[in-house]
Amino acid sequence: MLILIVSSILLFLTDIFLGSVQIPFKSILNILTQSGNEKESWQIIVLNNRLPKALAAVLCGAALSVSGLQMQTLFRNPLAGPYILGISSGAGLGVAIFVMGFSIFGISMASYSFLYNYGLVLFSFLGSLLVLLILLGAIYRLKDIMTVLILGIMLGSIITAFVGIIQYFSFDSQLKSFIMWTMGNLSGVSNQQILIITPILLLTLIWSFLVSKQLNLYLLGEDYAKTMGLNVKKFQLTIILITAILTGVVTAYCGPIGFIGIIVPHLARMLSKTSNHQLLTPLSVLLGINVLLFADIVSVLPNYETVLPINAISSFIGIPIIIWIIFKNKRITNVG
Amino acid sequence: MKELITISKLTIGYQKCAIVKDISAVVMPNELICLIGRNGQGKSTLIKTLCKLLPPISGNVTINSNNLFNLSDNEFSKLISVVLTSKINIYNTSVKEFVAYGRYPHTNWIGKLTETDQGLINNAIELCGINHLVNRDFSSLSDGEKQKVNIARAIAQHTPIIILDEPTAHLDLVNNIEIFKLLKELTQTHQKTILFSTHHIESAIRMADQLWVVENGIFYANTPKQLVDQNIINQLFCNSGISFNNQTMIFDYNH
Repeated sequence: MLILIVSSILLFLTDIFLGSVQIPFKSILNILTQSGNEKESWQIIVLNNRLPKALAAVLCGAALSVSGLQMQTLFRNPLAGPYILGISSGAGLGVAIFVMGFSIFGISMASYSFLYNYGLVLFSFLGSLLVLLILLGAIYRLKDIMTVLILGIMLGSIITAFVGIIQYFSFDSQLKSFIMWTMGNLSGVSNQQILIITPILLLTLIWSFLVSKQLNLYLLGEDYAKTMGLNVKKFQLTIILITAILTGVVTAYCGPIGFIGIIVPHLARMLSKTSNHQLLTPLSVLLGINVLLFADIVSVLPNYETVLPINAISSFIGIPIIIWIIFKNKRITNVG
Repeated sequence: MKELITISKLTIGYQKCAIVKDISAVVMPNELICLIGRNGQGKSTLIKTLCKLLPPISGNVTINSNNLFNLSDNEFSKLISVVLTSKINIYNTSVKEFVAYGRYPHTNWIGKLTETDQGLINNAIELCGINHLVNRDFSSLSDGEKQKVNIARAIAQHTPIIILDEPTAHLDLVNNIEIFKLLKELTQTHQKTILFSTHHIESAIRMADQLWVVENGIFYANTPKQLVDQNIINQLFCNSGISFNNQTMIFDYNH
């Protein structure tokens, strides 16, 4: 645990250190601690560009991992995660409607930046909530959880198709900004946006820790959880709400970032050999931060001129790990 | 002594389709009750209804004069602990941790185990004779071992009533008798009231204080002796080549 905290701090500093403009490490520390007089251009780069990007990586990593952990417990499925179940797509639909949909009717949201930032979060949250509620409704009718997973994938496809229609009718400039958004982009997050999402995410993460006991109980199955005093319906709604907030808020600004939400909870379980969410939740937060900071560092490494889309990196890291997990312990079909 | 559970005119089933009608019975504290009947007659349905996992079609059940169906999930969990037939797939959880699940309804928000909790957990482990398993991973146990651990969990929940759905279903003869003896002991020396369904009718007749029988949508409740004398046990398997011998209290195969 301690190692992970130290490594996340190191990765955080490395992430700020690396970029297309080379700034000495000492100057960066000076800028961050606001001591000494450094070049103004460096200050702007560090404070307005790299710092929010690194913070976004930290927040995204933590939020997506916890969201994935809770979805895997709720759906009793190890492949559940914000990306695969179509929840990111739902958030994407919300964003698409917000970015492009409104402009079709002649309303341009981009002109009100304050409203724009909040609206984006709200629509993204509503989009992911919509998908989660449909999935939950499906769980009530379909007892087989595998079917629910397939439904999630179908739902994701339908939404993508729907987004495609919106794209077809939208203007070039908005289309481009939306396409950029779908690639996942941590550097597009502004300081103002960080200020909006930090309190929301922090509170939700604390909330997720508070439901650890219920999550543990839910591992025994719905019936046992109920006979042991858990209000199952209320619990399911709580988890849906938490995961929708975590996924929706993050996705609003950073775009859909794949696979982090699936692999990190598995890494947490493998490292800790426990099914106790009181441990798994903080562990997922730390691991998520590490993995996404690492991905972000990789994305700027190969070429100092450009930045690779974070989504490509997370897939490159994530998919081999998933495959490795499948081969290593054939029990991937089982949560816990 | 005051009755603990009173069932009056309870009709159970799925979606308005009644399976067993007009169930009435009274349970006194510290009774061992066996629920018997052939497959598909509604044993599990009755168990599920009493565990509040299935809403009743009509009728009423009171426990300590409180309406069972008005209890909150939390109140229920402190009154009745339940062992079901559904498989539990949980990984990275030791047997000890699993038994500790029984304390969940009683612990604080973070699930901290007090000394009392630890005592009750160890006690349950002792009672079920699973001391040698405590450090094993729950998922690595055999079906019989899992069943015993799950019963230990229910005992650790420390409720006056325990309801079990076919607790001996996957067990061999030795385990089977051990479970029967354990359940009997719990009612005799640990002030528990236990209801469980079983297919081991001969053992049930020997051990139970009260037998509940579901047969063709009709419910009978009485002492084993009365039911045998009324020929109800014998009727269970009529037309099947098996008959119950009221004198030897065992089943005979007709040739």
